[in-house]
Amino acid sequence: MARERKYAMIIDTKRCVGCSACVYACKSENDVPEGFCRDWIVQRVEGTFPNLKMLNRSERCQHCEDAPCVTNCPTGASYYPGDGTVQIKRDLCTGCKACMAACPYDARYIHPKGYADKCSFCQHRLKDGLKPACVTVCPTKTLHLVDLNSNDGEAEKLMEGRTVTQDKVHAGTKPKLFWLA
Amino acid sequence: MVEIITNKLNPQVLPHLDVWNWEVPVYLFLGGLSAGLLVLASGLLLLQKGGVFSHTERGPFSYAVKAGSLLAPILLGTGMFFLFLDLAYKVHVWRFYTAFVYTSPMSWGSWLLVLFFPLSVAQALVVNREWFQKFTFLKPIINLTEKYLNLIAMTNVHLGAGVGVYTGILLSTFYARPLWSSAILGFVFLLSGLSAAAALIMLLAPENEKLMFSKIDMYLISLEGFATTLFIVGGITGSENVREAMIYLISGNYAPWFWVVFVFGGMILPLMLETLESLKKVKFSPIVPILVLLGSITLRFVIVFAGQEFPTFA
Repeated sequence: MARERKYAMIIDTKRCVGCSACVYACKSENDVPEGFCRDWIVQRVEGTFPNLKMLNRSERCQHCEDAPCVTNCPTGASYYPGDGTVQIKRDLCTGCKACMAACPYDARYIHPKGYADKCSFCQHRLKDGLKPACVTVCPTKTLHLVDLNSNDGEAEKLMEGRTVTQDKVHAGTKPKLFWLA
Repeated sequence: MVEIITNKLNPQVLPHLDVWNWEVPVYLFLGGLSAGLLVLASGLLLLQKGGVFSHTERGPFSYAVKAGSLLAPILLGTGMFFLFLDLAYKVHVWRFYTAFVYTSPMSWGSWLLVLFFPLSVAQALVVNREWFQKFTFLKPIINLTEKYLNLIAMTNVHLGAGVGVYTGILLSTFYARPLWSSAILGFVFLLSGLSAAAALIMLLAPENEKLMFSKIDMYLISLEGFATTLFIVGGITGSENVREAMIYLISGNYAPWFWVVFVFGGMILPLMLETLESLKKVKFSPIVPILVLLGSITLRFVIVFAGQEFPTFA
């Protein structure tokens, strides 16, 4: 049997220029309806001129290890497929929005067709051995999909010597997006 | 200077989560009211003169038992209709019943409601026998239920309490909305539902039963007031996250609704008037139960709306 994967994403904020290519690649790959998005860019500027600091961050579902959306879903529509991601079975979803209320990262939205929708790490592409659309399209190689259960050393190499931050760790969901600064 | 710009455009989460509108607080109010009615009606059915737990010559409280038993499933059904209106994927509503997810309060609630309906309807049919026995197809159900009425009423007391608590803890497991992540919210909503139920019976019942419900409501409001105090204390002594959310509730945009309509109008004022009524200093006024009911529905609106406006901090 193949070993279980544990997908995570490492995002290098020093490389990100905030071009939003990841957002539009995702929208086209996953038929995200107009006015909605599965990933987004946050740009944070701080300081006083001329000492300004800018941070660009590509954000999406954190594919938490202890995901409150899965815990609170009353129908089992949100689930762990066993590869470290969190996915949604649309035919089980009632659109009750418990997952949206439970998510500390506001990663979900209700698709106009009625079901909850969010980033899937492009699971359909992973199955074909491809990388997610956002990772593939990123012109500055900011985004890296890694398998934390693998011993290829990719994640360790990316994080070596860098400041690694995670968002809202206090929420206790064990998020799996890592930002490098 | 710190400036944050985002092209995050999902309309339901920007500028803050806005997924539950008026339908959900109305459902939580009707669910709590209906649960309270079932607890009171079933409890009195057992306690009143001739009941299996009877130790008093009081009663029978025929109006409260009859109307409470009948209104409980009707109001819950109405509440569930509003819940249904809120679902984004309405044709999948039956999916609540193809799974039992023990970590999800909503799943527990869905299955509790499945028990609530047949048991409360069965009790309503028996205690309102004189209306329903003319429908011959109901007779076998009435006869069967009558045999087990005590057992059903005993179950219904606990079932009602369970549904009452559920209307609160439905919100409690969402850490992402720190105002809601308080376990005592279940108790606040249960007591508010019981008090609203006593108020509704007070409003509808004939003169000879009104005064007793005024007294019951007086005690329930007192408990509700202290449970609310604990909810506030738990919030402001909590983590930074929870504390800020509680400060927002008690001093933010919803503070006038919380303090004036819920705390003063829905608890303090009716408590004073009910005490005076019980002392026979003032005559019974329908304004009292109406104030309690208004306070009870306001509580649901304020908690649901203020909770959504205060997400967990970054």
